[in-house]
Amino acid sequence: MEFLLVLIFPVVAFLVVGLLGRRLGDFPSAIITVLASSLSFLFSLYAALQAIKNPVHVPLYTFILLQSKPLELGLLFDTLSSVVATLVTFVATFIFLYSIGYMRNLFGQWTYKFYAYLSFFLFSMLLIVLSDNLLLLFFGWEGVGLASYLLIGYFHEQRKATNAALEAFVMNRVGDWLFLLGILMSFITFGSIRYQEMWEKAHLVDPLMLSWACLLLFGGAVGKSGQVPLHTWLPNAMAGPTPVSALLHSSTMVAAGVYMVARLHPVFEASDTALKVIVVVGSVTALMAALAATSHTDIKKIIAFSTMSQLGLMFIALGLKDKLAGSFHLMTHAFFKALLFLAAGSVIHTFHHKVHDIYEVGGLRSKMPVTYLSFMVGALALAGVFPFAGFWSKELILGRAYEASFGIGVLVSVVSVLTAYYIFREGFVMFHGEERKGGAHESEGVMILPMAVLMLGSVFAGFGVWWYGSLMGKEVHIHGDTVVLSLVIALVGIGVAYSVYVKRWLSAEELYRVLRPLHTTFREQFFTERFYHKTLAGGYMRISKGLHTVWERVLIDGFINLLALLYVKLVRFLWMKLDIMVVDLLVNGVARFTFKTGRTVRNFQTGLLNHYVAFLLAGMVFIFGIIIKFMR
Amino acid sequence: MTIEKAYMLISIFLFLSGLLGVIIRKNLITLLVSTELMLNGVNLGFVAMDRMVGGVEGQVFSLFVLAVAASEVAVGLGLVVSIFRLKGYEGSSEITHLRD
Repeated sequence: MEFLLVLIFPVVAFLVVGLLGRRLGDFPSAIITVLASSLSFLFSLYAALQAIKNPVHVPLYTFILLQSKPLELGLLFDTLSSVVATLVTFVATFIFLYSIGYMRNLFGQWTYKFYAYLSFFLFSMLLIVLSDNLLLLFFGWEGVGLASYLLIGYFHEQRKATNAALEAFVMNRVGDWLFLLGILMSFITFGSIRYQEMWEKAHLVDPLMLSWACLLLFGGAVGKSGQVPLHTWLPNAMAGPTPVSALLHSSTMVAAGVYMVARLHPVFEASDTALKVIVVVGSVTALMAALAATSHTDIKKIIAFSTMSQLGLMFIALGLKDKLAGSFHLMTHAFFKALLFLAAGSVIHTFHHKVHDIYEVGGLRSKMPVTYLSFMVGALALAGVFPFAGFWSKELILGRAYEASFGIGVLVSVVSVLTAYYIFREGFVMFHGEERKGGAHESEGVMILPMAVLMLGSVFAGFGVWWYGSLMGKEVHIHGDTVVLSLVIALVGIGVAYSVYVKRWLSAEELYRVLRPLHTTFREQFFTERFYHKTLAGGYMRISKGLHTVWERVLIDGFINLLALLYVKLVRFLWMKLDIMVVDLLVNGVARFTFKTGRTVRNFQTGLLNHYVAFLLAGMVFIFGIIIKFMR
Repeated sequence: MTIEKAYMLISIFLFLSGLLGVIIRKNLITLLVSTELMLNGVNLGFVAMDRMVGGVEGQVFSLFVLAVAASEVAVGLGLVVSIFRLKGYEGSSEITHLRD
C-alpha cells in the first residue's frame, strides 16, 4: 500500500489543485504541488530501498479482455523503475519549487492550472515508470502527451506556443500510433503485455514477429524522445515555460522513450534488426541535433537540441546492448539537463521573459554568480569533464561504442566534441564578454535553492556508477584510454568555444560569414522541418486542395447541382401543369361560381315586405308540394 | 257539398285574398288589414275543422288567434303610425331597412 502512495500523491495534488485551485489561490496551489511531489519522492525513496533488495510487484486490477488471457494491471518496483521513480520525483520536486519563483509574476492569472498540469505530468510519468505492463505504460504515455500539450501551450496567448503545443501533440500522436500497434503486436506475439512474461519469452517467440513488435514500440519511443524523423516538435516545444522544458527534458516525457526501451531491454536484445535500427536512429539524431545546437542562438533551443543529441547517445548505448550505460546516462542527464534549463530560466526570468537569444545578453557572470556557477557546472557535466556526473555515463557510452565498432565510437566522439563546444558557446556568450543588456540581477532564493541542489547532483551523481552497476548486476569497466579520450574530447570542445567566444582569437562573425551555408543547413536541421512543412504538410494541403477541386467541387457538387436542377425542372413542370391548369382553375372556378351566385341571389334580398311574403308563399308552396308528393 | 266544405272554401278564399293583399298592396294600413283577413280566414278554417272532427281544440286555437291578432293590430298600428310620423311615408315599398 505504501508503494501506491508514490502514485497517489501527485494525482491527489492534481485533483485538489485542479478542482479547488481557484478557491485556494495560486501560491497555496504551488505549495500543495511541491508538497505532494516531495512526499512522493520520500515514498519512492522508501520503495526503492525496499525494491532494490527484492523487486516488489503490486497487483492493481485484473482487466479481462479475452477469456484465456486476463490482462493484469499492476505496478512493478524493481531496481530500474524504483531508481528512476526516485530520480523523477526528486528532480520534479526541485523543478516545482523553482517554478514558484519563475511563475510568481503570473500569480493571480489562474496559475494554479499550471501546477495542476505539473502534478498530472508527474503522475503520468510515474505511471510510465512504475507500470508492470505495456497497457498501463500506455496510459501514462498518453497522459504525458496530454500534459505536455497543455504545458507547452501554457502561454496560450502566444501563437508560437499554441502552434508548438499542437505540433508536439500531433508529432507524438504519430509515434503513439506506432506504439499502440507495437502493443497489439506484442500481445499477438507474446500473448501478454506484462514485462515479466515478455522478458521470459523474448527468445522463444517468432523472431520476425518480435522484430516487428520491437520496431513498432521503438516508433513510439522515437516520437516521445524527439528522435529523427519525429524530432521537430522538441525544439519548438521551448515556447512553454522554462520549468516545463526542464521537466520535459530531464526526467519526464522525452526520457520516457529511452526508459521504455531500457525497460523492455531483454525483448529488444532478442531482435538484432531492432537494435540496428535503434543504433542508426540514435546516431543520426545525436549527430544532427548536436550540429543543429551549434548554430542556434535561442537560449533554450540549444539546450533542447542538446537533449535530443544526448537521448540519441542513450539510444546508441541501448542499441549496443548496454542497458547500464543507457539508463545511467538517462539519470545523470536528468540532473545536469534540469540544472541547465533552470539556469537558462533564471536568465530569462531576470529579463522578465523578454530575452530569448543568447546574443541579446552578455557579461552576466558578475550580476548572476549563482546562475553562472549553475550553468557552468551543468555545462561541464554535459560536456563530460571529470569528475562531473556526465563524465561517468558518457565515458561508459563511449567505451561501449568503441568496443562495438570504430565508426560508432568516432561518431560518439564527434558528438561529444560538439556537445562541449555548443554548450560552452552558450555559456560564454551569455555570461562572459561585455554586458549587452542591463537590469540583470540574481534570482530569488526559491529559484536558487533547486539550482544548488541539482548542482550537487550534477557534481556527485556520477560516483554512483559502481553502486548502480552492482544493482544492475554488472561490472563497471572504466577504460583508461577512453577516459583520456573523453577528457581530451571535452577539453577540445571547450577550448574551441573558449578561443572563439572568450579570447576571440577567431572572430565568430568571420567564421559565420565563411560557414554560412553550413550554418544554415545545421540551423534548419538539415532542412527536415522545412521538408515536413513543404512536402508533407504542403503536399497534404495540395492533395486536399486537388481532391477538393476534383472530388468536392466537380463530383459531389456536380451531382448535387444536377439533382437540384432536375428538381427545379420537375417542380416548374408541376407548377405549370398541376398548379396553374388544375388547382388554380378549380379554386378560381369555385370562387367565380360563388361570386356569381352570390350576386344573383343578392337580388332576392330587396328589403320589400311584399317580396318577402311572396317568397314565403312560393317557399310554402314548394315545401308543401314536396310533402304532398312524398306523402302519397 | 257539405256545409263544412263550403266553410273551408270560404276560409281558403279569405286567406288567399289576405295573402294576395299583403303581396300586392303597398299601403301599410292595407297590409295590416290584409293580415287580419288571413288570420280570420285561418280562424274560420279552425272552427270548420273543429266541427268536422267534433272537438273543441280548434275553437280554443281560434280564440288564441283572436287574442294574438288583437294585440298584433295594437302593436302593428302603433308601429305604422310611428313609422309614418318619423319617416313621413306610408308605402311599404319605401321601407327597405331589412335589406341592410
